[in-house]
Amino acid sequence: MIRVAKRKQPLRYQGAVATFSAVAIALVVGCVIFAALGVNPLTAYTAMGKGVLSSVDAFSEVLVKATPLIFTGLAVATAATMMLWNIGAEGQLVWGGIFAAGTALFLFPGLDGWLLIPLVLAASALGGMVWSLVPALLRAKLRVNEILTTLLLNYVAIIYMEHLFYGPWRDPAGYGFPGTAQIPEAAQLVRFGGTRISIGFPLALLCAVFLYYLLKKSIWGYQVQVIGKEQRAAHYAGFNVTGKILTVMALSGAFAGLAGMTEVCGIHYRLQTGLAVGYGYDGIIVAWLAGLNPLAVPFAAILLGALFVGGEQLQSVLGLPSSISLILEGALLFGLFAGQTLARYTLTFSSRSEVPS
Amino acid sequence: MSDPVISLRGLSKRFGPVWANREVDLDLFPGRVHALLGENGAGKSTLMSILAGRYGADKGTVMMHGQEVTFSSPAKALDHGIGMVYQRFMLIESMSVADNLALTVGKKYGRRGVDYEIRQTAEQYGLSVDPEKRIFELSMGERQRVEIIKLLMLDAEVLIFDEPTSVLTPPEVDALFVIIDRLRGEGKTIVLITHKLEEVLKLADDISIMRKGRLIISEPIDARQMSRQQLARLMVGRDVVLRVDKKEVALGETVLALDGFSGDSPSGGPSFNEVTFEIRKGEIFSIIGVAGNGQTGLVSAIAGLSRAGAGTITFDGTSYTAREWAMASAAEIAYVPEDRYQSGSIGSMSIAENFGLTRLQAYRSGLAGLLLDRQKMAADGRRAIGEHNIKVESSEASAGSLSGGNLQKVILARELTRKAKLFIAEQPTQGLDISATEDIWQALLECREKAGVLLVTGDLKEVLSLSDRIGVIFNGRILEIIDAHDGDRVDRVGLLMAGVRS
Repeated sequence: MIRVAKRKQPLRYQGAVATFSAVAIALVVGCVIFAALGVNPLTAYTAMGKGVLSSVDAFSEVLVKATPLIFTGLAVATAATMMLWNIGAEGQLVWGGIFAAGTALFLFPGLDGWLLIPLVLAASALGGMVWSLVPALLRAKLRVNEILTTLLLNYVAIIYMEHLFYGPWRDPAGYGFPGTAQIPEAAQLVRFGGTRISIGFPLALLCAVFLYYLLKKSIWGYQVQVIGKEQRAAHYAGFNVTGKILTVMALSGAFAGLAGMTEVCGIHYRLQTGLAVGYGYDGIIVAWLAGLNPLAVPFAAILLGALFVGGEQLQSVLGLPSSISLILEGALLFGLFAGQTLARYTLTFSSRSEVPS
Repeated sequence: MSDPVISLRGLSKRFGPVWANREVDLDLFPGRVHALLGENGAGKSTLMSILAGRYGADKGTVMMHGQEVTFSSPAKALDHGIGMVYQRFMLIESMSVADNLALTVGKKYGRRGVDYEIRQTAEQYGLSVDPEKRIFELSMGERQRVEIIKLLMLDAEVLIFDEPTSVLTPPEVDALFVIIDRLRGEGKTIVLITHKLEEVLKLADDISIMRKGRLIISEPIDARQMSRQQLARLMVGRDVVLRVDKKEVALGETVLALDGFSGDSPSGGPSFNEVTFEIRKGEIFSIIGVAGNGQTGLVSAIAGLSRAGAGTITFDGTSYTAREWAMASAAEIAYVPEDRYQSGSIGSMSIAENFGLTRLQAYRSGLAGLLLDRQKMAADGRRAIGEHNIKVESSEASAGSLSGGNLQKVILARELTRKAKLFIAEQPTQGLDISATEDIWQALLECREKAGVLLVTGDLKEVLSLSDRIGVIFNGRILEIIDAHDGDRVDRVGLLMAGVRS
């Protein structure tokens, strides 16, 4: 008889299997949706592809979208390496933006760029960190589930940001538009050529490499991995789990905070609506699509960025709702978990039934 | 005696290279309590799990009322009236008793009928329980009653109890015995898996004793004719052969001394009380006992992983209170834990990486010691593979790909390289084959030349082969410390393990 049984050894290319099946399932789901909308799936995918690859301009937008996604992907991956679920990258991103804008607008508005940019950078990382430490402390000291706290604090962060740019931080010369004044030019990130890609993109890549080596080469990274893989072994080895929860979440929050900085200082140049558009949640998909490998995070982020840009093309070229890209994004996540689950099982052919112990 | 309800014939079950059950023949009769006695790992639970449909047998047949039957799942076994009360209750804590039962018997009675049936069944068998209460509000004894009611509502004929008293308080144990007696009176067939002799003597009509997967006594015997001494001897066995060449080692300074050491087990298991002993460099001091007599908590406290409640501990000449000891990290104690898969190693990490688990200090490098010296780790891994004859192609292979014996050697090698003054080995050869066992024994004997060794085990043969002195633990107390040269030590240790003081 044929039975489905759990693999004793994990599949060698488990991550690749999961990612591949995720993309495959997303494509199939897309086909069904396009067909249901009366559009030839091939036409639709061609339109998406063209929208992404037809020009330097188009592709540069993919990298623009990928920049915050790399940061939030790293944020989620950092926490998930220790089996912590940081669903709060969105809120930490917002706080990173608030700290960045506050530093540039009110703390040191007159500084030169070479001094102001590092300060803004550090401030945004600090902002994300502070926000992530609230759930981290609750988790470490009182065992409060971090999934709920990180998620719910997102709303607090967003509402507080709105309070700032509708209220005390609103641009007095802004004709009543909700938003702060533009940050000084010294705080605006340098852009490449005529594109909207800022130095935030190479900075994100640098962070990915940094996280990779931190996890692989440092004592701290080793301990974090052990704790993530086997709590009991970490206890046996006498690792300080409480301390690691705090530092891991702090680093995670710092990455998300930097995403807020690249958005404020690289794209919008001010605090305004449109800062919290879900990059924090998309980071979850990026992280898992990358199999939590920091070096794979930029690729996953670019893939997702391409999906968003392609989705916008569907709207302008074929008149389809751009929210289709959200559906594809969801299908990607489902496919990913389906692939991971399937990769854990194997088909066995046996004559006798047996429940594996 | 009437015809047997259940007859097992030639039942065998293998897990990897280890035979958990070998050629077991067993008859169970209606209206009788059948005690299945044996040490941990003797194969009792496996045998009954086959009968209850959790495992398939590799060989042999199960007959019910003379008909051959095979159960592909516990549900199928229950359809035939065979049910098991496991040590861990299968109940959903946030739901009420009635809702829990409705999950399994709802189809039979309908959700409305369940409440009525619970009261009926509870009354018939004297199992008082409130159907409206939620499981988490119930004591362990009450939860167990819910499990029993569940089986009875499914018309179970054969009820298997797996160590039913291990989670109960003494009054609850008495209540359970009354219930079992009542079930027997109603003509049910009861199997009692246990290693507690009192329970057997109090309750059982028939006794089977298992040792190393085989049935030592394969015919039912009248329990009341046996004394505790006889039972203990049968259970532990006397086939102890000493095959280890022990080099004489001169005793050195006292490494560890416990005085009035008491505390609870971290996971809420049995506590340990007033433990006092000392270990000197050059000797293997063993603590032997049947599992669940407080040794887990004791070792955890000595290793500094949990905090003992009272007493003092002297390590390498310095005295600590129980509290101070838990704070003064256990960096200087090497420790091979009982759970080699989840505690002692990380399956998804390489052998080299597993060396970092307890030896991180040795691998600090660069940048104020914040970096991990992976090359040194790999070198240690390679050396261990060579020195301990570990069968694996490279130190980059994952620990999870190793057999139990080879994995244990990796852990042992890692702990030996720590060059600690005290070496703790907890059930170091449990489940290992003979050659791996002998390698590990040899390593422990060599280790005592440089350290004091604390061996904690339930294996009498291991203790008699290796130890210089033996402390027998029972109900959390060290009953006696016996010198390994003592002439009648084999009998005495076995009896003490069963709580019999001569």
